[in-house]
Amino acid sequence: MTPKNAIVNKNRLVILQQYPIDGRGVKKLAQAGYAWLEANRQSVNALNVFPVPDGDTGTNMVLTMQAAMEEIKNSPEQKAGKILEILAQGALMGARGNSGVILSQLWRGFARSVDGKENVDSQDLAKAFVEARDTAYKGVVRPVEGTILTVAKDMAAAAEAAVKEGADPITLLERVLQAADESVQHTPELLPILKEAGVVDSGGKGLFFLLEGMMRWVQGQQLHTAEGTVQPLAALNLENSMESIEAGQDYEVIVDFRPSKPLDLQQFYGDLEKMGTSIQVGEGEGMYRMHIHVPTEKRYEPIDYTMTLGTITNVAMENLMAQMDALSQKTHGFKLKPVEPGEIAVVAVAPGAGIARHFAELGAAAIVEGGQSMNPSTADILSSFENLPTDKVIVLPNNKNIAMAAKASAELTVKKVRVIPSNSVPQGLASMLRLDPKGDLDQVAEEMTKATKQVQTGEVTTATRNVEIDGVKVKIGQLIGLHNGKLVTSAADFEKGCLKLLKKIGLENYEIITLFYGQDVRPEMAEEIAAAIRKAYPKQEIETHEGGQPHYQFIFAIE
Amino acid sequence: MTEDNAPLGSIQVSPRAIATIAYQAAVESYGVVGLASKNLFNGLTNLIVKDPTHGIEINYVDQAINIDLYIVVEYGTNIKTVAANVAKTVRFHVEKALGLPIQEVNVHVQGLRVNAKD
Repeated sequence: MTPKNAIVNKNRLVILQQYPIDGRGVKKLAQAGYAWLEANRQSVNALNVFPVPDGDTGTNMVLTMQAAMEEIKNSPEQKAGKILEILAQGALMGARGNSGVILSQLWRGFARSVDGKENVDSQDLAKAFVEARDTAYKGVVRPVEGTILTVAKDMAAAAEAAVKEGADPITLLERVLQAADESVQHTPELLPILKEAGVVDSGGKGLFFLLEGMMRWVQGQQLHTAEGTVQPLAALNLENSMESIEAGQDYEVIVDFRPSKPLDLQQFYGDLEKMGTSIQVGEGEGMYRMHIHVPTEKRYEPIDYTMTLGTITNVAMENLMAQMDALSQKTHGFKLKPVEPGEIAVVAVAPGAGIARHFAELGAAAIVEGGQSMNPSTADILSSFENLPTDKVIVLPNNKNIAMAAKASAELTVKKVRVIPSNSVPQGLASMLRLDPKGDLDQVAEEMTKATKQVQTGEVTTATRNVEIDGVKVKIGQLIGLHNGKLVTSAADFEKGCLKLLKKIGLENYEIITLFYGQDVRPEMAEEIAAAIRKAYPKQEIETHEGGQPHYQFIFAIE
Repeated sequence: MTEDNAPLGSIQVSPRAIATIAYQAAVESYGVVGLASKNLFNGLTNLIVKDPTHGIEINYVDQAINIDLYIVVEYGTNIKTVAANVAKTVRFHVEKALGLPIQEVNVHVQGLRVNAKD
């Protein structure tokens, strides 16, 4: 921190301590609370005890606050009471999930209590916390203790006690924050399901972060990255540690241990920072888990160091470079677009790596591999979008059989899911072109559905048995051509099969055709077929891509 | 009755049993401050009924189970979110208890409870 910052922060603290909080102060505090909650969103989500209908508490509370902050951002209002009123209104309109609704109730009570006031002093604050609590409790027939309601109750009690001591607004907020922290830590004692899962209440923790953000702003601390503090084991983000591999870090080392005396976290972090990067520390039942990336020559250092602190119960070491190579082979290096909170995320089912890459390039947020049998389970689809930071999801099954599983996944989540009736990969790709991540979910879904009808799908594959369908006789081993899923042609070899199919579809009436060749097809053969098509249809444009799909040797997207 | 025909007999779950599960889930849902009879206009007496399934209707259409909830919501909350949440919560708990999928869960907001302060 530069000396200039230090002076500004000291002034801020002094002013806030001496005077009641005005409209500007309220805005800043709310903004700070929101920013810090956003930064810690993932660790709040990780506290959700599965399976519970209120999906991601962190995301829900962030979205609720986002709506509230949008309203006051554009408001010219100066009075504290008015700003809080607008904030509460915004929270009400944007309330998501159970936790969002309760949060909106808390703001509503808080704002109502200071209605009309220009500034808020300690007395006002205490009354506001009390009314926030009362309003929140009123919203449910059977309030459950050990939840955000209990935390709100303990916060109100601390505020009242602080006023009795004559505390200034900032000291009052500090007391409230401390009470919130203790209350959150205590929730497992009140709610057995939390104790069993080894977590604290997620909603309560979210509320704590809101308050902590405010105090961090007062103290001039950063608000954009969650601190390296101990998280519950469940919150350790170890799967994603692959993304932050830096040059020189060759090994991932994870050590579980029981410290022989209370751990000095600052010291622990400091010592680990000298060895490597991507440090995470999680706390479980009387034990800690330490995760770190280190260069090869230092790979045993974290283990030796931790041994000096207590008893090691488990060690895991993984060669990161080897992991990376295996992973990049698997994913063929496609990068998925990260989802902005609140925007529409598209999940596409892809039968092959090349096709997956296309969906990724067009903006898909998640890919579900179809697998050999093109039969991903409902759970596979659900897990692909459950942890995305948005509640607006569009699913492209790209296969008639998968539509059911997709619809079922929609039922198992609190997120808003729209399943587009895309029955083939070309239909899915065509609909991706209509994706507007910032748009209204239903409107975008409608547009995407319309788009699926505007592309013709051709598929060529080998017949696995003798059959006659729709007047077409097919012998086992012959090539069959399908137009929009319907069997229309049969032929002796691939070239004839493709040309016959395209003739049947009436390729001369279309302009662009995209060919995806499957995993059993040699690129040379695909080029030969493409050349043959070009010769037969010189006016049309044809593009060839590696699709990597099983079973269907050729998939044509025709528009 | 919803049936599950096990080899040595059949398992039947009564609508009343389903309604009881749905009721418990609904009253725990945030924003729901009461369940009301479909015919709220009949008067206050309907609110005081001690029926554990009051305000819940279970209907069967062929093999599909449909649930209708008639709720009273706390004024000042986001009604749409509260309704969506209670639908999800009821569906989750009923499906978990029954082991059978529910076709429709319909939420009817019969009224809002307003406090003296509003």
